[in-house]
Amino acid sequence: MPNKLLYYRLIPVVFVLIALSIWLQPEFFQRAAGINLPNGQQPQLSQPLKVEKPCVDLHPEWRAAQVVDGVEISESLLCEPDNPYNIAAFVLGMNNISMRTLMSSRIAEDALIKSDDLDGDGDPDIIRIKLEVLELNGATPDSPGVFPTYDIAPGIQPGMWAFSPKLRGMSVKNFRSLKANAILRAPSPVIRVEQGDKVYITLENTHYFPHTLHFHGVDHAFKTSTGGDNDGVPVTGEKPVMPGATRTYELQPRHAGTMLYHCHVQTDKHLMMGLNGMFVVEENKPNNWVQTFNVGAGHVRHSSVAIKEKFDREYDLHYQSIDKNLAKTIQQSNDTREISKQMHRVYNMSESSENYFMLNGHSFPYTLRDALIIAKPDENIKLRVANTQHSNIAIHIHGHKATITNYDGVPVNPAAQITRDVYDLSAAQRVDLHLQTTNDGLHSYGEGVWLFHDHVEMGVANDGMSPGGNIALLVYESMLSEQGMPTVLREDALDDVMTNSYYAKQRPLWGKLEAGELAPDYLRIILFGLLIGLAIGLAIFIVRGLNKADS
Amino acid sequence: MKSISLFLFFCFITSPVFAAMNHGGMIMDEKGMIMNHNPDKLPKDCKEISEDVNITIRGGHKFAKDFPGKMFTYDKRDWQVPPCARVNVTFINEDDIRHQFMIHGLPGYMYPKGMFTIELYGKGQKTGSFIVPSRDYTYYIHCEVSQHTEKGMKGQLKVGKGSGDLDSILGLSAPLTPDLYPINNTHYTWLALIFSIIIGAFLIRLLTGLFTSKHSEP
Repeated sequence: MPNKLLYYRLIPVVFVLIALSIWLQPEFFQRAAGINLPNGQQPQLSQPLKVEKPCVDLHPEWRAAQVVDGVEISESLLCEPDNPYNIAAFVLGMNNISMRTLMSSRIAEDALIKSDDLDGDGDPDIIRIKLEVLELNGATPDSPGVFPTYDIAPGIQPGMWAFSPKLRGMSVKNFRSLKANAILRAPSPVIRVEQGDKVYITLENTHYFPHTLHFHGVDHAFKTSTGGDNDGVPVTGEKPVMPGATRTYELQPRHAGTMLYHCHVQTDKHLMMGLNGMFVVEENKPNNWVQTFNVGAGHVRHSSVAIKEKFDREYDLHYQSIDKNLAKTIQQSNDTREISKQMHRVYNMSESSENYFMLNGHSFPYTLRDALIIAKPDENIKLRVANTQHSNIAIHIHGHKATITNYDGVPVNPAAQITRDVYDLSAAQRVDLHLQTTNDGLHSYGEGVWLFHDHVEMGVANDGMSPGGNIALLVYESMLSEQGMPTVLREDALDDVMTNSYYAKQRPLWGKLEAGELAPDYLRIILFGLLIGLAIGLAIFIVRGLNKADS
Repeated sequence: MKSISLFLFFCFITSPVFAAMNHGGMIMDEKGMIMNHNPDKLPKDCKEISEDVNITIRGGHKFAKDFPGKMFTYDKRDWQVPPCARVNVTFINEDDIRHQFMIHGLPGYMYPKGMFTIELYGKGQKTGSFIVPSRDYTYYIHCEVSQHTEKGMKGQLKVGKGSGDLDSILGLSAPLTPDLYPINNTHYTWLALIFSIIIGAFLIRLLTGLFTSKHSEP
């Protein structure tokens, strides 16, 4: 009996031990640092730091002004100029080029046929175009990565679609590479035709989902001459063009201007996936061989006759955005039923956000390689700007005020034209700008490396990581390096962003170290453990002792 | 003639702006300002100046380099002077931006708002004086430029024994509302915890074994 009393007397000790351990309990997951803040630690990178060259100078010989198969191709001083053989093919049509030009391009021989000078003014008037649908950064059952890869900026590979001129050969650079061949890229190419041309555009649906073509703002009849669907809208016309099938649309545009084309199947998703492009109708002029495709948009190396009369240079600027959640839907499965479910039913466009913003298929810093506007003083430059994002853009060109000459392809009365420094475009709108590089304090403040970008600030970041998005530059030739890169004020200016870890948000912006983590406080952890152990041991001792005393 | 007279007029009007002004307790020039400079007026509780203490305090970005995560501070943040001392402060600003040496809590009847301040508009230095009362007290020194105090530019002046340390002075006292940092736990952390619990439990067995064996002997 006195034994039992001893055990009862020990019970409060257990509680004292528990109270003590609670009082001395260490912080297990986060704590304050005390008087001095932690020294900091090296950032943890998911892969070794690699700094890319700002310009990989693959084809310096493509920059010079040259004549290919009799087609005059203007100088393009960019890091990545357009392939002049492609341009010759796009101007003449695949039926009018030399074997050398054909072999130097990756375009199918029936992709573009130009024939029949119907009005006798020295240029072809029947244009037959074939478009395919391609996928970039899609899923593959053969590796955990995506295929074919297309980086919109260092390390960023969102799933995307694009229309493309009908191609031939491999979709990758070579058979050891996963990288998309240069002609497979975003955005969908700018299509250029002449006013009055009879245009037959065939959609050859090479993709695994149904698609159509819809011509937005381009003069076209509701039905084709044979009574077929000509507006591309499945709810008012024919069923969409199924995978493996084709359909030909017919246009004979009576008005010139900067227009659009896009897929009209599940338009919200398919347009945002990239199935949209600029469609330019050029004024009818004699001997007007227009460059039917401008792959990747940007500099037009063979402008139409009317443009050449008024302007020194012409650029197509196509602004696009990507919702990373929509882009992901094509990267997670290789079962087309599952992809369709994820994209069309699970994904909800009304809960959409935009994460990546591109100018001509690239986000900064890759825009520096092919989306610069290059100028000389006292020039007149034509900019055709299209917005196919679903948010508005507000483009601002540093150091310049340009004049808006056309809205949605319709000329503005010259007396009413507005010269300003922010050009706002809501979804699907286009403006044509007349940029004058006259250093008069109004149109231009002189030569420089002038940024131009969307002033809706989410547009100048890559998934929130700035600088990125649609930032590009207006660079004067005197400030351009031999490789087509701007000569900026410091040599290492781009090193921070030309890495695989910057847009992964793994590098501190200004310092070298992160605030980091604190070491565990072992002394207190051990003390706490001992107290808990003592409490448990004592409790067991009491229970066993009481049991023993009872028996 | 008109322009000459205008010129003379402006010289007359503008000349006092460039010269040091002393009004309302402020000595100002184009380099900075001293507020409530007091080399001679004694606080009520002091019969005489006990001692002349000269202190030189430097402020700037570079002094914060030893304190990770902070941006501006003084070279020394903890000062002590005897009661009734005359403190002659030479404040040196080593940055090209504005900094202040501002002290609070002095007697309001001789230092309006209880403050003595030296403000420098850029790189440079100024010297000013104030006389402290006799009680043991810790006075608050800081730079009031937006966020400079919070990001490190804070110090204290103890008169006599002082009245304890102020919070969040770099290298001296912990912040009152500290940041919480994640703890880098590894499997060793959890092993240490489990082992110490087991050892604790066995310790009880050891202790009780000794205890019970002693008691069962007789």
